[in-house]
Amino acid sequence: MVSLFYFQLLSAGLFAIGLYGVLARRSAVLIVMSIELMLNAVNINLIAAASHLEGRGSFVRFDGQIIAIFIITIAAAEVGLALAIILRMYRNRSTVNVDEIDIMKW
Amino acid sequence: MEWAWLIPVFCFAAAPLIVVFGERLPGKGAILSILAIGGGFVVFWVVLTAFLGASPASEINGTADCFTSEFTESLTCVYEHSWFHAADLELVWGIIIDPLTLVMLGLVTFVALMVQVYSLGYMKGDPNFGWYFAVHSLFAAAMLTLVLADNFLLLYVAWELVGICSYLLIGFWHERPSAREAAKKAFIVTRIGDVGLLIGILLLWREVGSFSMSEAFEAASTGAMSEGVTTAAAILLLLGAMGKSAQVPFHVWLPDAMEGPTPVSALIHAATMVVAGVYLVARAFPIFSAYDADPLVVVVIVGLVTALMASTIALVATDLKRILAYSTISHLGLMMLSLGAFGYTAAIFHLLAHGFAKALLFLGAGSVLHSTEEQDIQRMGGLRKVMPLTALVFSIGAISLGGIPILSGFWSKDEILAAVNDHRNVAFIVFALLTALMSALYMARAMFIAFYGQLREGMEQVHDAPWLMAVPMALLAVLAIGFGFLSFNWPGDYDGIGSFVSFGERHGFSFTWWLGILSAVMAVGSFLFAWQVYLKGRISLDNAKATFAPILKVVENKYYFDEVYQWVIDRVVLVFSRIIAWFDRAVVNDIGVNTPANSVRRLGYTLRLHVTGHVYSYTLAMVLGFVGLGIFWWFRST
Repeated sequence: MVSLFYFQLLSAGLFAIGLYGVLARRSAVLIVMSIELMLNAVNINLIAAASHLEGRGSFVRFDGQIIAIFIITIAAAEVGLALAIILRMYRNRSTVNVDEIDIMKW
Repeated sequence: MEWAWLIPVFCFAAAPLIVVFGERLPGKGAILSILAIGGGFVVFWVVLTAFLGASPASEINGTADCFTSEFTESLTCVYEHSWFHAADLELVWGIIIDPLTLVMLGLVTFVALMVQVYSLGYMKGDPNFGWYFAVHSLFAAAMLTLVLADNFLLLYVAWELVGICSYLLIGFWHERPSAREAAKKAFIVTRIGDVGLLIGILLLWREVGSFSMSEAFEAASTGAMSEGVTTAAAILLLLGAMGKSAQVPFHVWLPDAMEGPTPVSALIHAATMVVAGVYLVARAFPIFSAYDADPLVVVVIVGLVTALMASTIALVATDLKRILAYSTISHLGLMMLSLGAFGYTAAIFHLLAHGFAKALLFLGAGSVLHSTEEQDIQRMGGLRKVMPLTALVFSIGAISLGGIPILSGFWSKDEILAAVNDHRNVAFIVFALLTALMSALYMARAMFIAFYGQLREGMEQVHDAPWLMAVPMALLAVLAIGFGFLSFNWPGDYDGIGSFVSFGERHGFSFTWWLGILSAVMAVGSFLFAWQVYLKGRISLDNAKATFAPILKVVENKYYFDEVYQWVIDRVVLVFSRIIAWFDRAVVNDIGVNTPANSVRRLGYTLRLHVTGHVYSYTLAMVLGFVGLGIFWWFRST
């Protein structure tokens, strides 16, 4: 059995890559993809932890999996919404570069 | 009898209805106002009949609400309805029905009805006709609530309501600057007294734990409330009464209040609102007479000073309405004098008799004003020839108030003199007689100069009062003549007013012969003297005027009260206000408010440059925040 540590390492790595993408990328589409990456990193973490902790205390395996399924569902909805917003953004301003979209200020 | 609350409610309902629907109703809503007060007058008779038939034993609707008051020793009925609780304080809507309330209800409903009918004629064609009647209704409602209230809180509410109605009606012709000024003056001067009243009520509440009058009286008489507190409360209540009843030194507002329409002066500034102070002292008499009745000494002195001062001014004033105003102040002083001399019955009786006579006089003066638009008696004369009815009723009012025997003013004044004679020392009776003498003199002067003698040029076209104005005057004239007969011991069950309205021991009608004859001789003498001076011209006052010129000057300037107040306001109040204003501007506003506000704004200007609008900079801040929190949490947990 693979140690929980490796799953957490993988999860942390994916999360860090996603975070870097959100912070560093200019394209809104890539930012959305990075967010997906972060969400899935969390999913891996949750499922691994659930599997690892099964049988201790009141934990059961499904606890983690249920939340993971929730996250997948919500992520799907979020992607739909995010892509729609990006599409409108492109129609309005002919760009998806977040540098040029800076009206969220005073 | 428990339906007595309907009397003010009719009028309370009428006021907003007139404001909202008045334009679409006959007479711009005046009909509603008159119906409401007329309904109140009818209910008053029903209540009076029920009251006379009731006894402490008789149960009404299964509950015995009536009892014999231990203070007035007369039947008293109290009906209360809980309003709301707050902690251990319970507030109630409550009405009290006892002889004092009943006579006040009768006076207010009757005079208000008369004055409103009169106003139909007097105010005809005024652009704000409807508003006039709406405020009149509100005033009647508030005044009726005031006399019905069985707790100080409700009384105070009604007290302030009559004040604001008085303000609105004095300033009714607010296009005139003098009317605006007079309205403000009346409101502010009475407010000074009202603050005393409020503090007095709160003091009683703190001591007794309730606003109920009967509990306060109980505490004062059983000694549950210390002598010092009782005296302080009485003096504070008296302050409110002095403001409302225009006693020296708060009397300055009443003469100026004559800027209002004359029917308003008749109702509010002669017959009803201004006697609220006398009513309050009478109502709170158990507090005033508790312990050694020390507060009554203050009452008697205030009353005497007011009566004397005002009647001297009335002697030299030339404006018809102002003569009547000073006469009102003087008679209010007489009522206070009477209360201070334990003449409870006499004060209330004089209140009623004076109310009818003075309302009549004002309505008569209003009739003159209505057709001649002249207020100065020196430019009137001989009006009897062109307005005989007005001259007749005015003369009836004048000789009634002047104290000519068998008219009501004579009997009520005599009761006051008798009370003063019985309970106070000889100085008081001398000055009271002097006031009575001057009262007869100034009434005679006004009457003879304005209505008798030669008709002035240009007054030939003057018309008498139309019937809408004449009928109320005639009815009031009947009362001004005959009301005094109520004081006698008639054959049968009726033992004079003293057996109905009384405080403590009941007493029937009694007549102190030497006083009665003396005052009658003085009154008749005054009228004859005035007749000789102002009509026949056989006695000239020029020598006397020259001799007493300095005194005359002081009196003609109303003892310089207005000037002194103006000086105090200009030199003390306004200077103090300017200092306060400077403090407010410089310290509170500039340093206290603007400095923090400006620094926050400057900080905001600086900070907003860091807000780029770039999503990733926000995200970075968020991430760094999380990391920071994580580190913090890490170190805390280890």
